[in-house]
Amino acid sequence: MSGRILLVEDDEGIRVSLRLALEDEGYDVDEAGSGEQALERFAEQAADVVLIDIMLPGIDGFETCRQLRRVSAVPVVMVTARTDTHDVVAGLEAGADDYVTKPFVAKELSARIRALLRRVRSVDQPSVLTFGRVEVRPDEGTVRRDSAEVHCTRTEFRLLCELAANPGKVLSRELLLDRVWGYDYFGDGRLVDVHIRRLRTKIEPDPANPRHILTVRGMGYKLAV
Amino acid sequence: MGLRARVTVTFGLGALALSASMAALTYLTARQFILHQRETSVLGQAYVNASLVRSTLPGTSADKIPQLLDSLDTEGSSHSVVQSDGRWYAAFASSFFTENQIPAELRTLVQTGTPAQQHYQLNGHPELVVGIPVKGENIYYFEAFSLDEQARTLQILALVLSGAALVTTLAGATIGRWASGRLLRPLGDVSQAAETIAGGQLDTRLTATDDADLAPLADSFNRMADALQERIRREARFSSDVSHELRSPLTTLSTSLGVLQAHATDLSPRGRQALDLLAAELRRFQRMVGDLLEMSRVDTGSTDLSLDEVEVGELARQMVTAGGARGIRLTVDPAVSDLRLWVDKRRIDRVLTNLVDNAGQYAGGATGLSVEAGDPPGSRVRLIVSDRGPGVAPEERQQIFERFYRGQAAGQRGATEGTGLGLALVAEHVRLHGGTVWVEDGPDGENRFVIDLPAHRDGETDMPTSTRRP
Repeated sequence: MSGRILLVEDDEGIRVSLRLALEDEGYDVDEAGSGEQALERFAEQAADVVLIDIMLPGIDGFETCRQLRRVSAVPVVMVTARTDTHDVVAGLEAGADDYVTKPFVAKELSARIRALLRRVRSVDQPSVLTFGRVEVRPDEGTVRRDSAEVHCTRTEFRLLCELAANPGKVLSRELLLDRVWGYDYFGDGRLVDVHIRRLRTKIEPDPANPRHILTVRGMGYKLAV
Repeated sequence: MGLRARVTVTFGLGALALSASMAALTYLTARQFILHQRETSVLGQAYVNASLVRSTLPGTSADKIPQLLDSLDTEGSSHSVVQSDGRWYAAFASSFFTENQIPAELRTLVQTGTPAQQHYQLNGHPELVVGIPVKGENIYYFEAFSLDEQARTLQILALVLSGAALVTTLAGATIGRWASGRLLRPLGDVSQAAETIAGGQLDTRLTATDDADLAPLADSFNRMADALQERIRREARFSSDVSHELRSPLTTLSTSLGVLQAHATDLSPRGRQALDLLAAELRRFQRMVGDLLEMSRVDTGSTDLSLDEVEVGELARQMVTAGGARGIRLTVDPAVSDLRLWVDKRRIDRVLTNLVDNAGQYAGGATGLSVEAGDPPGSRVRLIVSDRGPGVAPEERQQIFERFYRGQAAGQRGATEGTGLGLALVAEHVRLHGGTVWVEDGPDGENRFVIDLPAHRDGETDMPTSTRRP
């Protein structure tokens, strides 16, 4: 597996050891010791996946992720200090696609990076999916609402495609985790929930009262056409 | 007797003593006054009548004397008799009243020339009899006056006064009860607050009061609660901080170790052996830090349940396919398979992971996960992890859920792999779900770790709030 990874981590020990581990797996690794440095680095050379530690000197990981999101839809993995809802949800809401919790094992991290990089849709799908005034083109990777393009991250886009390809059908969180995040990861519905929230703010006319992406209590989500 | 009862009784008795003596005093004064008035008027009338008798008797024939006496009774309630020259005459209208109805000693006294009066009972009625010797004549005039009306008045008065005393007593007791209740209410607040704190809600405080007498109590109580909370927080924070600080070096260690392992072929056999040792210990160390962190989160209460409603059968299936009980044989009682639970799946996953790990370390590995009916069957459901045994000794069945408990199994193979916190975390997570966990013997000497959780039928309940940490 190849690809360019930007490591944003202020702890040198972790940074260097991660670089060694990821380079062993065949990735090109860039390093940044702070959020500011990471944004500069990314502007110079885009990466395929960015790994951001939340605790950073200067602007923190959340803010780094938000600023990165303004310029790119690149997959982002947050490194959180705790599995508490607060850090995880804040990271996801800042635009992260996934998260790992310290202390993590390098294998776990590379599994997630692989899953993020692999997420290129290969299953046959109609070239246009429409619902309401939203139009999704899976093969082009574009979403339009009222003919204006909506910028989605890759994970958001994948999630939207899954929903749009199964209109009216209830999709459980487990199923969405499996299909969208694509690795064996048990039971963290927060990943799905936050991404659904983010999608709603982008395509729903009134995100607080969604008309398209509906929550089915205790079961999952479904797309209403 | 409680303080409140004592105050109530004291107030009641005080009110009773006060009102009873007031009533007695009032009664006696009134009685004296009423009787005195009656005596004055009776005496007045008796003397008038006596002088009338004196002036008319000498010229009246003996058979007219009763009529004369009749005419003297102006109020219809007095009876007159007169002794003239040793002969007794009684009035017609009250012919039953003769000299025999007059007390003998009074009669004798009057007949010696001394006017006298006496209270006495006549046929059960109070009477005042007055005897007047008429000077110079051999005439003695007696008249008995009824005191019925006065007696009735006094009776009513006594009744009213006792009623008032009774009411006053009750009012006293009521006031005592109310006042003591008011006095004790702050104590009740204090005890309730202490109870809540003991129940784990450490931020409970008494509301500040303006009352100068109570403010010091509330202040010192709140200061104590502050100190207690601060102390608990410091202790919980300490273990949390320690574990946090260990995270970064641990991540570096495990990542570097991973790199080393990837290049293990470059190492000598001795080096590889050392590397394996390092890897095993590091794994255990990492698990321990993870468990400590999880435990400190439970202790500091900084843990949130993210609850989902799931069918128990489905939950168990997910657990054996992708969760903590992966690959373990599942048996589901079809009768309870569709019961619903509110669970934080990640925690249930942790619970099963820890139970399966525990089975692997001490009892030859987990052999099955089963879903069975709880008690009562509609509202409790059990997830049971079985292993190969040996069973846990009965005296250890409670203790194995305690932190860092090292029992008889400590010497066994695999015991060194444990963190000492796995089962304690199981107990905490299950408790957060409003459930209980215990271990029991299976039919073939195996252990059955039973997780008993609250369940409901479809659409029966809303998301529970009580399972959140208090």
